[in-house]
Amino acid sequence: MSQSGVDVPPKGGFSFDLCKRNDMLIQKGLKAPSFLKTGTTIVGLIFKDGVILGADTRATEGPIVADKNCEKIHYMAPNIYCCGAGTAADTEAVTDMVSSQLRLHRYQTGRDSRVITALTLLKKHLFSYQGHVSAALVLGGVDITGPHLHTIYPHGSTDTLPFATMGSGSLAAMSVFEAKYKEGLTRDEGIKLVAEAICSGIFNDLGSGSNVDICVITKGHKEYLRNYMEPNPRTYVSSKGYSFTKKTEVLRTKITPLMERVEITEVGEAMEE
Amino acid sequence: MGDSQYSFSLTTFSPSGKLVQIEHALTAVGSGQTSLGIKASNGVVIATEKKLPSILVDEESTVTNVNLMSLLQVQKIQHLTPNIGVVYSGMGPDFRVLVRKSRKQAEQYNRLYKEPIPVTQLVRETATVMQEFTQSGGVRPFGVSLLVAGYDDKGPQLYQVDPSGSYFSWKASAMGKNVSNAKTFLEKRYTEDMELDDAIHTAILTLKEGFEGEISSKNIEIGKIGADKVFRVLTPAEIDDYLAEVE
Repeated sequence: MSQSGVDVPPKGGFSFDLCKRNDMLIQKGLKAPSFLKTGTTIVGLIFKDGVILGADTRATEGPIVADKNCEKIHYMAPNIYCCGAGTAADTEAVTDMVSSQLRLHRYQTGRDSRVITALTLLKKHLFSYQGHVSAALVLGGVDITGPHLHTIYPHGSTDTLPFATMGSGSLAAMSVFEAKYKEGLTRDEGIKLVAEAICSGIFNDLGSGSNVDICVITKGHKEYLRNYMEPNPRTYVSSKGYSFTKKTEVLRTKITPLMERVEITEVGEAMEE
Repeated sequence: MGDSQYSFSLTTFSPSGKLVQIEHALTAVGSGQTSLGIKASNGVVIATEKKLPSILVDEESTVTNVNLMSLLQVQKIQHLTPNIGVVYSGMGPDFRVLVRKSRKQAEQYNRLYKEPIPVTQLVRETATVMQEFTQSGGVRPFGVSLLVAGYDDKGPQLYQVDPSGSYFSWKASAMGKNVSNAKTFLEKRYTEDMELDDAIHTAILTLKEGFEGEISSKNIEIGKIGADKVFRVLTPAEIDDYLAEVE
């Protein structure tokens, strides 16, 4: 097939041009900016009637807490939610994008979304970016085939588990799950266990902290319990506020009025409409 | 659009200044099954004839989500967003393609601005797509006219989009086989302060005017949207109720 001389842009795929530039800059001594990471403890477990997801609410930028109360449990579909650990922008963007694709898919098929669809869309995307999209996800939901819980790693591999943890606080949370998880938990037992696991991450991992968010998904119903537990309330130094007795000394006062120094001269014709 | 060998447009001007392909597309629309829409004070209703080509056509399907699709295989009225619905006259397959594109555009808007797309914007983008197919290489214009019904912050709205890509806002409109009779009927019956239920009755009466054979819930489709901003296709049972009221 002959092309008529029109320059066709390359289709699809990631353009690695800027990576060469970045390498060159690092060699010259430039420090790359650090990403806003969600240190994070995220967990999920399957209980008798469905899935419970939990997450902490601290977002870190290196050693600084950038957001004390961020939302790490993302909406994917009315019956599917996803917790995200890793680079905050990556988890937000990738869950948003797949949530959008799922909505179009629902219109196209006329059916409710299945967890495995979200899983496949996410892992396809992450794999195609070869791990550069730093998003580690715990995906859970209840669809027509039952409750499902999956973990997705930044490089695109996935696991299907009855209970799962991800993020820097995952070891602390997993120790709680391994000790106390059993099949057929009730809703209250499940929520208690998830909260305990997240708290374990909050108190033992520097990258996690602040509050506990919980999301309970059952057949045909979901409950998003934002700030279910707040084990780190702010205590203020003084409820009366501060009073400064020693005022700042005024040494000198100089007022410069700003006047317009613009002259308007009409030259040429007015522009035609 | 268009392969390398067809980089020229098939829609070209005639000496009289008309785009003949678009005229032909409008003829295709005019020979399609009648559809109509009415904008009431508190909502919009769109309706269409649904005559299956033969009694041998298998109507049932296994679709389960009743909110998005009826339980029938062939559904002419479709959702573009939760608060915008659309019906057509003309070629069904062309309609399918347009609905798919429009849904994607609405979703892209939603992704970017985190709010539902206003009706006028979606209509404009759909109309742009239809116009592109009249000025691109190797493609033909769409053989459908659309009636888009929606309810957003500006209230209830009804738009008609033609194969040329032009769109108009209507208080009430009809298209397809019976267009002239239907429009005359609507002109007589339309009132500014009509309510949604009255509009549905009027829509049924208008369809009845030019209907060949017995009108029933199996051979018409009705979609409505009210102040709740949720577009819904009526179930056959609900259509039966309205038909009984009209008798």
